[in-house]
Amino acid sequence: MASTSKAISNSAHQQGQTCIAFSRDGKIAYTGGLDTLVRIWHTDQGEDQEPEAAYEADEGITAVAAAEGCWLSGGHDSDVRKYIPGKAQFNGLVTSAAGASIRCLAVDPSGKRVAVASDELSVKIIDLDEITNVVILEGGHKKRIRKTTWHPSGSILTTSSSDGTIVAWNVSDTEAKVENVIDGVIPEVVDPESPEFMHDCSAVWHPSGQYFFAASRTHEIVAISRSTWTKSSSLSDPNTIGVTTALALSANGVYLASACKQEILVWSVQTKRVLWKYPGTQNAFTIQIAFSPTENLLAWTDTEGVLSRWRDAIPAGSPDPVRQTAASSAQGTTTKRKSTPPLWGEEPDAGAEGGDPYGDDWIIDDLGDGMEDEPEGAKAIRAGDGFVKEMVSITKAQPAFQPGSTPMENKKRYLAYNMVGVIEVTDQDTHHIVNVEFHDRSTRKGYHFTDHFKYDLGSLGERGALFACPPELDHVAQVIYKPYGTWSTQGDWTYALPKGQRVLGLAAGGERPMRSLRDPSSSGGDIQGQGNIVIATSSGDLTFLSGSGMERIVLGVEGEYVTMAAAEEYVLVVHRPGATTIDGSQSLVATLISFEDFQVLQEKPLPIPKGHTLRWIGTTDEGAPAIYDSAGYIHLMIHHRRPNRAAWARLMDTNLLERKQGKDESYWPVGLSQDTFMCLILKGRQDHPGFPRPLIQELPVRLPFRNQDPVDSPIEERIARERIHVNLARDALGDELTSSDIDKREVELDKQLLKLIQASCKADKAPRVIELVKRLHFPNSIAAASQLAGFYRLIGLQEKIEAIKLWREQNATPAEEAREARQGFAYEDAPLARPKPFQNFNPPPKVDRPGLTRSTGIVEQTEFTASNLAIRAGRSRAPQAPASRSTSPEGKRKRDDNDDDLSSNAFDVEVKRRAVCESDAVVPSPKPSACIAIQPGPA
Amino acid sequence: MALPQSLRTSVTPLELELIASEHLVEIVPLITMEKTAFISVRIEGAYGPLRPPAKCRVPLWMATNLKLKKKCHIVPPEWLSVDFLQERLTRETSRPEFSKLPFRFAEIAKVILDVASDDVQNADKIKSLLKDLREARQAKSRDGLQKLDHSELSLPNLCSMEINEIRPFFIQAMGILTQLVREPSAE
Repeated sequence: MASTSKAISNSAHQQGQTCIAFSRDGKIAYTGGLDTLVRIWHTDQGEDQEPEAAYEADEGITAVAAAEGCWLSGGHDSDVRKYIPGKAQFNGLVTSAAGASIRCLAVDPSGKRVAVASDELSVKIIDLDEITNVVILEGGHKKRIRKTTWHPSGSILTTSSSDGTIVAWNVSDTEAKVENVIDGVIPEVVDPESPEFMHDCSAVWHPSGQYFFAASRTHEIVAISRSTWTKSSSLSDPNTIGVTTALALSANGVYLASACKQEILVWSVQTKRVLWKYPGTQNAFTIQIAFSPTENLLAWTDTEGVLSRWRDAIPAGSPDPVRQTAASSAQGTTTKRKSTPPLWGEEPDAGAEGGDPYGDDWIIDDLGDGMEDEPEGAKAIRAGDGFVKEMVSITKAQPAFQPGSTPMENKKRYLAYNMVGVIEVTDQDTHHIVNVEFHDRSTRKGYHFTDHFKYDLGSLGERGALFACPPELDHVAQVIYKPYGTWSTQGDWTYALPKGQRVLGLAAGGERPMRSLRDPSSSGGDIQGQGNIVIATSSGDLTFLSGSGMERIVLGVEGEYVTMAAAEEYVLVVHRPGATTIDGSQSLVATLISFEDFQVLQEKPLPIPKGHTLRWIGTTDEGAPAIYDSAGYIHLMIHHRRPNRAAWARLMDTNLLERKQGKDESYWPVGLSQDTFMCLILKGRQDHPGFPRPLIQELPVRLPFRNQDPVDSPIEERIARERIHVNLARDALGDELTSSDIDKREVELDKQLLKLIQASCKADKAPRVIELVKRLHFPNSIAAASQLAGFYRLIGLQEKIEAIKLWREQNATPAEEAREARQGFAYEDAPLARPKPFQNFNPPPKVDRPGLTRSTGIVEQTEFTASNLAIRAGRSRAPQAPASRSTSPEGKRKRDDNDDDLSSNAFDVEVKRRAVCESDAVVPSPKPSACIAIQPGPA
Repeated sequence: MALPQSLRTSVTPLELELIASEHLVEIVPLITMEKTAFISVRIEGAYGPLRPPAKCRVPLWMATNLKLKKKCHIVPPEWLSVDFLQERLTRETSRPEFSKLPFRFAEIAKVILDVASDDVQNADKIKSLLKDLREARQAKSRDGLQKLDHSELSLPNLCSMEINEIRPFFIQAMGILTQLVREPSAE
C-alpha cells in the first residue's frame, strides 16, 4: 500500500452490472447500472456530491462512453442515446439494435465515431456527426459480442466475442475486413446471465499501438503483439491467483490496472510486476476500471453498484500515469523524453523504468530501442541537471542469495537443494519445522527438528548441515552447524554474531565421505574432519571456520557479496566489486579461495549476458565450479586448478534442448556431473520449485556447437567435452603424468577419433585426417589410423601418418609436454622472494629454451684451487644441474638458494668447500661431461 | 483367468510376472552401491552403480526388492501415466484394432502399482484406467472369436497377458475348425 490517501466510495447503482467512463477532459465520470440510470459525477467533488442522473433508458444500462461533443449510453433496451456533455440532457437517439441488448460502446480515438456491439452478431460503426453514416462489420463472429475496443490509430477495431475469440478488423477503408482472429486467449462465456459474462474480456490497447492486453482463460494477463497477433509476454503475480475481472491502462501506458478477487492491482507495464494493491469492495467484484485521461485518478465500479475513486492512485515519486514518458512512447523520440527529466532521478523502484533485472523478455524491446533508450536518457539528465548520483544504479542489483533455496510459499520453502540432499522448512507460525533429507540414505541419516529461531539460510555440505538465523528482538544473528554422523547433538555448535550484524550467506564444504557416516563404529568420518565453513556477514567479510567451530580467518570482501558455494578444497565466492553497469550488466566476479591457506586461485568475471542474472552456482561431481544464469547458459570453469589460467567454458545452452522446443519451461539446477545436468523442470512462468518435492530430472550435457553434420558433429562434440573433463582430471593429479582411469578415457577418446578419421578417409579429406591423427594419444592408435589410410588406398596419407608416428616416438608424449607446461606455470607462479632494495644480485630469470640441449660447463682441471675457489665451486656443480632440474622444481630452487648464499654469506664458504670436495670426488675424470654422455651407451 | 482348470494349459500369470521382472525400469536409489553382477538371463548381468540422486536402470525384480526395503523410488515408465493411458483408452474404444501398448504392460503395471503406488501419480486413476483398458481389449478379443479361422491368427499389438489368456481356448477351437474344414475337402 504505497498510497496513503483513501478511496472515495459512493453507492451509485443497484446491484448487478455497472459501467464507467470518463469524459474526454477527465472532469466528469459517467456511471451506468441496472437501475436504468446514468449518473454524472464531477471528479473534483468529494463523497458528498449529489450526482445528476439521466432517466431516459427503459432497462438497465450496460455501456457508457464519452465522445467529442456528447456522451452516449446504451443498455438492455437496445437503444444508444446521445446526451449533451456534462449534463443529463437527452440529445437524440444514435442507433437501435432491434431488440438486442447493447453490450459495449467504444468511441474511436478521434472521438468522432462510435462502435456499437450488441447481441446481434455484427458491430456497427456510426459517425456521430452524421448518424446515417454506418459501417457494419459482419461475418466475424458466431456468438454474441461482449466487448469492443479501438486501436490508438483508429484503423483497427478489436471485438471480443462470447465464444472466446478476439477479432481484429481493419476499418481504415470504407469496407471493413477481418485482419485476424485470435482464438484461445480470452475465456468462452456463453451464458449472458452468468457472473463471468460481466468480466472484462476486452483487448486493451497500449497507447503505442504495438500490442494489447487481455485477461486470458489461464488467469494471466497476456500481451498480444500487433505485428504477429501472437502472445508476446504475460503478466502474472504469484501472490494473486484468480480470474481478472477488469483491465485498464493509464493514459500514457506506463501502468496497467487490473481487478482480481477483491483487490485492484497496479502493474508496471515494463517490468510486468505488481507495484501496488488497493482493496476493493468486500463481497463484490470489480467490473470496470478506468484511469482518468488527465489526472492521477483511478476509478472503478463493481457488482455491488459502488463507484470507487482513488485520487493519487499512483504515489508521488513514481512516474506520472498521464504524461508521456520515454518508457511509454514506443517510438521513443527524444523530444518526448526531454519533457520528463526527473523521471530517472525520482524513480524509487529503479527496476520499474530501468533495465529489467530479471531477464523477462521486454515488450518494448520488440521495437529494438528498449535497451538503447536508457543510456541516452541518462546522458540527457547528466547534461541537464546533474543527477549523477541518482542515475548510477539503473540496473537493479541482484540481491544476495543462497544457491538452491526458494522463497517461502504456502508456508513452505527449501533452504537448500543440492546433490547431497534437501533442507525443507515448514512454517508453523510460532516456530519452523526443519526437515533434512539426503538423497543417499546409506551414507547419512535424515532428521528433522523444531526450530524456534526461524532459520532463513541453510547450506548442506558433505560433512554437515549449516543454518543461520536473522537477528530478532531478543537474540542476535547466529549460525549453527550440525555435523553428520553424530547421533546426539553433542557435535553441534553455534557461532553468534555481534549485535547489529546479519548473516548474508553460508557455505559448508568438506571432503566427500568414503564410507557411511551413519555407522558409529567407523572412525573414517571423524578422521577426515567435519569440513570447512564460510560465513558471509553484513559487515563485509567472509569468516572461515573449521568444522569444529574454530575461527580460522576473516577475509574482507571487495564489494558486495552475492553468493557462494563450497567444494572439497575451495570455496567459490561471487561478489560485485563495483556497481551494476548502466546497460544491464550485473558485473559479478567469481573468486576461488582455497580452504588450505586462503589463496585466491582464480578471480574471474562471470560470463552473464547483459540484462540477465546469476541463478545458481555450484560444483560438478568432479569438483569444478559451474554457474547457471537466467539466460539459460551453463558455464564451467576449466583449468581452475591452474592459478589465474581459468576460463569459462559454455557447457550447455538449455534453450537449445530438444525437449524445450515448443514448450514453456525452465530449469532449476541441482547439480552437474560429467554428462548430465541434474535439474528440476519448472513449467510455465514458475521460477522455483514447489511442494511436494519434484523428481530430479537428468538432461544430457551438450556443448553448444553449431555444426549440424548428423554423423561427425555429435562425435566431435563428445570428444571436445571429454577432453575438457580429462584435462580437469589430469590437473587434479598434481605432478604425476597420468592415471589408469585417464588412460582408459583417452583410449575411448582415441576410438572416437578413429571413427572420425575413418569418415574423413572415406571422404578423402587428407588435411582433416592429419589434424585428427595429431590429436590421437597413443602410438597404437596412430598405427591404427595408418592402417585405415592404407585400407582406403591413400598411400601418401599413410606415409604422412607414419611420419607423424615416428616424430611422436622421438619426441615427448603429449602427457609429458603437459607436465612440462604445468611445471612452467609453477615456476612463474612461485612466490616471489622479497628483493633487497637496490641489491638484486640474483641470477637473471631463467629463459626456458626447450628446443636446445642445455649447455654444460667445462670443469677446469688445473689445480689452482685456492684463488678461484668460488668460481670453481659454481662450475663444478654445473654438470649436476640438468639432472636436478628435470626431477623437480624444488631441486632447482635449492640451487638458486645456494647461489644466493654464496654471494652473501661468509659462513657458507665452509659448505662450499665441502661441496667442492664432494664434486671432485664424484667427478675425478678429466672430461666428466663426456663421461656422462657416453655412460648410457654401453649400459 | 476366468477359465476352468481343464483349459489352463498355458503359463500362469504369476509366471508371466516373473518373466516380466527382467524388464529394466528406472529407479532413484536412496543408497550407494557399486556396480554389482547378478545371476541373470541377460548377457550383461551387472547393474549399477547406484549413486544417489542419479537415476539408474535396473531390472524390475531388483527395483521391487529395493523398494520393499525402502531403498529406492521407482520412476514409473512413461506409459504408466494418466495422460497416456487415457489417450490409449479413447483410441481403444473408438477404433476397431488393438492400440499399441508395451508387450508386458499388464505385468509391469501390476508390479509397480503393487509395490510402489506411492511413487506413481494418481495411482487410483491409473488402476481404473488399466481396468477399463483391459475390459475394452477383452471385448475385442471376444469379437475376434467370430472371425476365427482354422489356418492362421494374427495378433497385432496383443499383449503377453492377453495372448496367454486366449491361447488355450483359441488353440483348441482352431484345432476343431481345422478338422471341420479338412473333412469336406477329403470327401
